[in-house]
Amino acid sequence: MKEKFARWDTLFLQYLKRDWKKIIIWILGLGMFSAGFVPAFKEIAKGQGLVGMFETLQNPAMISMVGPTPIETGADYTLGAMYAHEMLLFCGLFAMILSVLHIVGHTRKEEDLGLTELVRSFQIGRQANSLAAFVEVTFINTVLALFISGVMISFGADTISVHGSLLFGASVGIAGIIGAGIALVMAQIMPTSSAATGSTIGIVGLLYIARAGTDVSDVNLSMINPLGWTYLTFPFTDNNWLPIIFAFIFSLVLIFVAFLLEGKRDMGAGYLPQREGRESAKQSLLSVRGLFIKINKGVIISWLIAFVIIGAAYGSIYGDMQTFLESNEMMKQMFSQTGFSIEESFTGTIMMVMISLVSILPIAIVNKLFSEESRLHLSQIYATKVTRSQLYWTSIGLSIVGGLLGVLLASGSLGGTAISVMGDSGEMDIVDFLAAGFNLFPSVLFFIGLAALALGWAPKLGKIVYIYLTFSFLLNYFSGLIDLPEWFLNIAIQSWMPQMPMDNFEASVFLTVTMISFALIVIGFFGYSRRDMNEGA
Amino acid sequence: MTEIVKVQGLQKKFGKFQALRDVSFTIKSGEVVGFIGPNGSGKSTTIRTLLGIIRRDSGIAEIFGKDVWKDSLEIHKRISYVPGDVALWENLTGGEIIDLFIKLHGSGNKEKRDYLIKRFELDPKKKAKGYSKGNRQKVGLIAALAVDSDLYIFDEPTSGLDPLMEQVFQEEVEKIKKAGKAILLSSHILSEVERLADKVVIIRQGEIVETGTLDELRHLTRSTVTLVTQGDVANIASLEGVHDFVQTDDQSTFSVDNQHLNKVLLEASKLGVTKFESVPPTLEDLFMRHYES
Repeated sequence: MKEKFARWDTLFLQYLKRDWKKIIIWILGLGMFSAGFVPAFKEIAKGQGLVGMFETLQNPAMISMVGPTPIETGADYTLGAMYAHEMLLFCGLFAMILSVLHIVGHTRKEEDLGLTELVRSFQIGRQANSLAAFVEVTFINTVLALFISGVMISFGADTISVHGSLLFGASVGIAGIIGAGIALVMAQIMPTSSAATGSTIGIVGLLYIARAGTDVSDVNLSMINPLGWTYLTFPFTDNNWLPIIFAFIFSLVLIFVAFLLEGKRDMGAGYLPQREGRESAKQSLLSVRGLFIKINKGVIISWLIAFVIIGAAYGSIYGDMQTFLESNEMMKQMFSQTGFSIEESFTGTIMMVMISLVSILPIAIVNKLFSEESRLHLSQIYATKVTRSQLYWTSIGLSIVGGLLGVLLASGSLGGTAISVMGDSGEMDIVDFLAAGFNLFPSVLFFIGLAALALGWAPKLGKIVYIYLTFSFLLNYFSGLIDLPEWFLNIAIQSWMPQMPMDNFEASVFLTVTMISFALIVIGFFGYSRRDMNEGA
Repeated sequence: MTEIVKVQGLQKKFGKFQALRDVSFTIKSGEVVGFIGPNGSGKSTTIRTLLGIIRRDSGIAEIFGKDVWKDSLEIHKRISYVPGDVALWENLTGGEIIDLFIKLHGSGNKEKRDYLIKRFELDPKKKAKGYSKGNRQKVGLIAALAVDSDLYIFDEPTSGLDPLMEQVFQEEVEKIKKAGKAILLSSHILSEVERLADKVVIIRQGEIVETGTLDELRHLTRSTVTLVTQGDVANIASLEGVHDFVQTDDQSTFSVDNQHLNKVLLEASKLGVTKFESVPPTLEDLFMRHYES
């Protein structure tokens, strides 16, 4: 025992000391995200809101995204029931993913970096590090659970009971612990830390998809899914603690397996062999463009998939809009006044939100060029006949293509899903959706322009573009809910664009924003072609 | 022998920090120039300026008679470079990265690539994240040596390589030197520079403090002499140019300025020499002399 775990407590305290900032952000961030929306949900619940939402969430597409509720009639659907129904699964997923990253980061990653080697040369047990990391993650998730419960109780809302709040917190916390357990097992099996992270996230993704299927067909089957144990506790309604007990036992088994596996392997090695790669490069890699596509491939593909999923998720709501509208007299009035159908109005708003999300991908591609530069990946390439303008324009080109594809997939998937769930009752066709999406494309270009400007003149500020994007996103999101002055709204680039299909296409705005964006890109190029490369020197 | 690299009065500031104060040297074809100096003395900054990665504030920097900033493309067609810290894309294999670098350079050849992979004993199928420091360095070296260039710039190329691989590197450099190429070799491993370099450039705090062939530099310094004589060896101690004189019985060890060596020999012969050993200063001695003061 001593040989295995000696001084794990020292390592544990060391981790707390090293991570305290991260832990605080983690707990506050995820905690507020999980518990802080109670007032917002109270607003939604007003009038016929609860019944309307209940109907909307009966849609199989929605169940496959957020999960089921044990409530059977709209009349019994309380604020608490709705909150747990819409929030719990996602909060649990976030807790899981954060714990996975943390566990692999402190175990396998440290091994890969050679830190463990150094630590192990002291009087430290062979498995003390894994134990310390796991205890830390358990500690974080426990505090997180209590924090969430506390915040929820503090709102003092009807039907957000103390019992339910404790269970809600515990469900999120145990999700984190399950994630950490799976990660610790995969950290032993896989040959490298990135393979461990990738495979664990993959497993979580598979569990999510599996439960989407079983939730729709037969909820009882979701009870054999570890991910199911996090949200099938049904806080505020059934208040079922049994899944938490399952999850707890499951986590203990995972830890036991992980320690068994770790005890039998060499440091730095896994149970699966390192896969062999190609001996020589494929023709498609052998150019600046090929290289940039290769190094951005993971990001591009995962974002494009995300855009399709988000589009489909929003699209699936269209089918219930008419029912929702009929059940709510006030909303009905609101829409008949504007002269547009609810679908058109919804498309205008949601498109703005989605295209804001689409902008993330092109910004990431432009910023990648600087991160490659500062990580010294390009040193040897600078000394070849590759020009700076090649590096710059290839990145810009790739990011524009990424933006185009993103808009196409997001608006296409929104439109496709919407049309299929609306059936014959719909008044919009796919062209309307695509037009609404591409109408906002200049705003994507504008973000590319800003990122390019930063890349050329002040590359360290590249991340600020994300902050501006987040800010514009929030402005757009809340402009419908709160009255904001015109000039303030205009800080967000999207506010300059007409909202199709409600507004008409305005060629002058479209062209002006496009031209400004290209001007920014060109100015960025002047900076990039004459500045010193930043190589940590 | 044509002049390949010409640097004169090169200056570069990073913010307030004057990284290069006054850097001047030349490299001719067929010449290996050793570029030595401690960490932070400006070696890599000089090299990055030569590559057009950073822009100089003033001074002349030319390769093949062309400006390193304005005509960097023309220059880059005919040079090879290996950085001191070869950073690679983790999810590509060594073989893929080598192919990419060769392709981007423009003039590589497959046989040479395969030959070098074998010589350096690199496993090209392994993903770069699995490579040690030495193996990453090999990837950079193979890519640089597999292409045809007229100037090779190596920034501490052998850091992390084992002695066997260092040997392989030195042999390969000797080959390109014989082929009449110019080489700039920045290194901490002074024995390597001593073996390969025709000329040494010593830099300190952004300034060149010494340039010349090894012989010239040696000439300016002292040799270490061990002397045993029949007569009283203590007479030697008072001669001009003799330093650090230590005597045990009739044996003495001292260092002597090379220009005074003749007088010492004349004096010693009067005492009846039974043993005389003279060791020329190593590059390390030269180097230390510049930095200890």
